Amino acid sequence: MKALENYLRMYRKRAGLTQSELAYLLGVQSSGKISRYERFARRPTLETALAFEVILGVPIRDLFEGVNEDVEHEVKKRARRLRRRLAQRQAHKRKLAVLAAIVSRSSDEVMYEPLR
Amino acid sequence: MKLRRYARKRILAVDPTHRGFGYVVLEEPDRLVDWGLCLVRSRKEVATLVRVRRLIRHLEPEVVVVEDTRHPGCRRGQRVRDLLDGIAAAAAELGVASSRIPAAEVRQSAATIGVTNKDAVAKLLSARFPELEPLLPPRRKTWVSEDERMAVFDSIALAIAFSKVGAITMIRTLTTLKRYE
Repeated sequence: MKALENYLRMYRKRAGLTQSELAYLLGVQSSGKISRYERFARRPTLETALAFEVILGVPIRDLFEGVNEDVEHEVKKRARRLRRRLAQRQAHKRKLAVLAAIVSRSSDEVMYEPLR
Repeated sequence: MKLRRYARKRILAVDPTHRGFGYVVLEEPDRLVDWGLCLVRSRKEVATLVRVRRLIRHLEPEVVVVEDTRHPGCRRGQRVRDLLDGIAAAAAELGVASSRIPAAEVRQSAATIGVTNKDAVAKLLSARFPELEPLLPPRRKTWVSEDERMAVFDSIALAIAFSKVGAITMIRTLTTLKRYE
């Protein structure tokens, strides 16, 4: 299962806030913008994303889980490529260790009971 | 045991009412992603199917769960039976699997732990998912029709019953909840 682009709607509803209340807290004119974020029709700016974190008390990576997964996947892919390239050039050990850590960091493995 | 994230499923459960439908979207094992009650005024069947299609497209569930109307114990009217068939057909059209769980199975699971009515099941479920508490209707009087908000609780009961090993999970979940009641 691929994560949704964001879970703003879920966390907003959990907090018991309406779209207009959230819009007010974010300092935007109308709730339309919130609706567009929740429908994945628009991506918030970094400032807005940070404001979401402050309001809902949830880290950005959890709020925007789908985006986070995509970014992480792309970064890992590039890190793997860079590590291969640097390994051929006898690069600094520390640099290779950092790249290896990026590649092996696994946030896509979670502890769950197996499905039957 | 470690499992890949894709082993989980996103489940959309829908339960029609006399003027709309209640729905929940549950990500296994127990993350309630979305829930609500959709009220439609005119052309109820068409409007309901449009809304369900929109939910499927937006939330991309792996499976759509509805009540099994072919079960002999089903007490739904013809309109709702046709609507549930329509929902399953809409899911298939959008390439999503659908599953049918008999309401009797959900009731039986609850009965094994001494919960014999929908009000009690709804109360237990709202204790497990506190975000649903504002939707919990007051206990129904025998001379009053069922509150439409109950459709949300019926949906989540269906989703839980479908999830993993169906009825066994439902029993286990409700038993755990009853312990804390």
